[in-house]
Amino acid sequence: MTNLADTIAIAPVTRSNFSRELRRAGRSMVAAKWPLLALAILFVVLVVAIFGPWLSPLDPNRQNIMLRLAGPMAPGPNGATFMLGSDALGRDVLSRLLYGARVSLLVGISAILVGGTIGTVAGLLSGYFGGWIDDVIMRMGDIQLAFPFILLAIMFLVVLGPGVVNLILVLGIGQWVTYARIVRAQTLSLREKEFVEAARAMGDSTISIMFRTILPNIVAPLTVIASFNVASVILAEASLSFLGLGVPPQTPTWGSMLAQSRDQLIANRWWLAVFPGMAIVVTVLSFNIIGDWLRDLLDPRLKERG
Amino acid sequence: MLRKKHLLIASAAGLLLAGTTFAQASGDTLVVGLSADITTFEPASVSSRDNANVVRHIFDTLQSIEGDGSVVPDLATNLAISEDGLAYTYTIESGRTCHDGEALTAEDVAFSFNRAKDPANAFTGNTPGFVFSSVGFVDAVALSDTEVQINISAKNQIAFGLLAEVYIHCKDSYEKMTLEQAATTPIGSGSYKLESWMPGSEVRLSKVAEPGNFQNIVYRIIPEASTRSAELMAGNVDIITNVAPDQIDVINDSGTSAVQSVQGTRRMYVGFNLSPEFAAMPGGDAIQNPDVRRALQYAVDVPAICSQLLNFPCERMTGIVNPPNANKSLPPYPYDPKKAEELLDAAGWQRQADGTRFTIRFQAGRGRYLNDENVVLAVAQYLSDVGLKVETDIMEWGSVYVPLIRKRNVGPLFFLGSGGALWSPLYDMTDLAKADSGTNYTHWNDPRWFDRWTDIAASKSPEETRVIIDEMLKVFYEDGPWMHMYFQPDFYGVSKRLNWTARPDEKVYLFSATLN
Repeated sequence: MTNLADTIAIAPVTRSNFSRELRRAGRSMVAAKWPLLALAILFVVLVVAIFGPWLSPLDPNRQNIMLRLAGPMAPGPNGATFMLGSDALGRDVLSRLLYGARVSLLVGISAILVGGTIGTVAGLLSGYFGGWIDDVIMRMGDIQLAFPFILLAIMFLVVLGPGVVNLILVLGIGQWVTYARIVRAQTLSLREKEFVEAARAMGDSTISIMFRTILPNIVAPLTVIASFNVASVILAEASLSFLGLGVPPQTPTWGSMLAQSRDQLIANRWWLAVFPGMAIVVTVLSFNIIGDWLRDLLDPRLKERG
Repeated sequence: MLRKKHLLIASAAGLLLAGTTFAQASGDTLVVGLSADITTFEPASVSSRDNANVVRHIFDTLQSIEGDGSVVPDLATNLAISEDGLAYTYTIESGRTCHDGEALTAEDVAFSFNRAKDPANAFTGNTPGFVFSSVGFVDAVALSDTEVQINISAKNQIAFGLLAEVYIHCKDSYEKMTLEQAATTPIGSGSYKLESWMPGSEVRLSKVAEPGNFQNIVYRIIPEASTRSAELMAGNVDIITNVAPDQIDVINDSGTSAVQSVQGTRRMYVGFNLSPEFAAMPGGDAIQNPDVRRALQYAVDVPAICSQLLNFPCERMTGIVNPPNANKSLPPYPYDPKKAEELLDAAGWQRQADGTRFTIRFQAGRGRYLNDENVVLAVAQYLSDVGLKVETDIMEWGSVYVPLIRKRNVGPLFFLGSGGALWSPLYDMTDLAKADSGTNYTHWNDPRWFDRWTDIAASKSPEETRVIIDEMLKVFYEDGPWMHMYFQPDFYGVSKRLNWTARPDEKVYLFSATLN
């Protein structure tokens, strides 16, 4: 696996060149085309996540077992139409899909914030102080990586119980090592640079040097990692919900919708799996495309060429 | 076209499984796909029906209760009951042996009973946890090589049926074994012996005595319903249990297998936990009032749940006893949400400004019963419709929900099934033999029920007993701790190469199965 710390050099973005960088990013996105489409898709997902309750044609949790397993465009309750069909309890698949976007994005982004924050602080401490602090933090990371993540997540969720907050915590904590390693490698390199020496000579506190001098110079690689990670966390949420360890059953998520479709696939009720499956694929793919594009955009070697 | 599609599905499943080392169904091997894992071969620790269905092929019992309720001899050729009803003397068939060759005598039978009761072993299975506590087992004594006397503490009209559930094994072999060895390497007395066991995957038995028409029986653990169905249609298994209701038509249309639908005896109910601990919880206080419990009976459309979610028409149950033995004067509660709301208003639980009367937690396990998760969510919806705010908490069955159940610590509402029988109403009622019975998960303690057990023990005739039973069942119907749901139908997928008939009591016994 490519170590982004090795390939991405520091690209500090200051206010003076911010608008120039933004224009370059815009040109790059238009030229590459796919990132533009991915961004448009993510924008739609974001709008759906925010305005889902207003966009949903029906209550996503309202059951009507007399109208269960209706196919797409079948008549629904009170003259409504099940545009994407109904599930095994007669709930509207489209409405659940729209609500599910909210949970998937919430879990994906929040888990990255949790994991990114813990990992960044740990990486800064580890890289800046070195010695036994570095040893302790990195060995903790090694121990965590020795366990398959999904197994660790299942173990914690069985003990803590399912729920959005627990899910975010578990998925977030599962990600911190990646961030800690990137930040540590960058900090090790930056702490010897002249501008850090200068800040030290001017009497800045250690905290200030770490968070106001070094951290802004690490934001670029962290952004790339985060964009890839959102995709993997959304997939992990879907996997855990599929196993019944995600959010409570009445809360619609794409993963739990997939899980509930299991027994229906063999009876050819394809709409129960295809629509949430497509939502997961398209969203994860979009995050991955944006991550790829960001990596290229922030790579100084490509930047020099471009 | 439809047939072609099913063949494609079955072929795909077959291809996916090609290369695995699982046993294939063949002329002398019968393969059964189970939904739940086998946890033990310790005869005194077996508690689940799936586990018992396997273990019963390894261990004989004194007598057997058939699906129609008739009693047939097994190890015992004769039973004599003392006049006071406290001593059961069985005559054991001579010439029987255990799988290690040891002769099986009355001493071994007495040992099997006394070992299960020994507190040092701390067994918690069906024998000590249900049978012994229900009959008031005292001890077992070998009177001779062929006669054993079982002593119980109080006269019990169904003791013979309950004692028939105890697995018999040989003394010498089990005295040499540790408890761990007994749980994994049984030395049985039945017609099949354990060849191998891969927990979570496969159990393999081979025939050592009659009865039985197959040389080998292989149980494969296949938790996922669609995979079980695909394996059946692909011809890799002969029988599957717990067919998902929505897959019945697919199997019937496959041409290779068919579903046997049986009206089962398992009583499915929503329990009201009435313990003081739960009374302090939100909603736990409300259900202490029998009027509230009665109101909630009207809130749920049970026939709709049966026809839509279980793919099986049903009449709602009226109590704890299976239909042939139930109190026939009690009509099933109809679905009448308006009446439910009126009764809740009258009980003092009016809707608040947000439309909610009270909040209550509803706990359940996932994957044990037919379409259980969807049934629980549907019940929650019906209760929400009459103003309850229901917080469903659906847990993993084996490692999370079952321990709570065993501690009688679920609720305030909980979903559960309890195995029943057709041969006696008292068997079904024995779940609530005492207020502190391990199977009284509701902590219900109404003396109008529990005090009547002494009347039953003292009754002089079946007619007199019947009157008492009906009075008890009326109390249970009106003020009991169960929301009456349904008797669970059972769906078995059976290969067309096999001749086997499912029983209503969930006992999957394969002794009489033959090839077509």
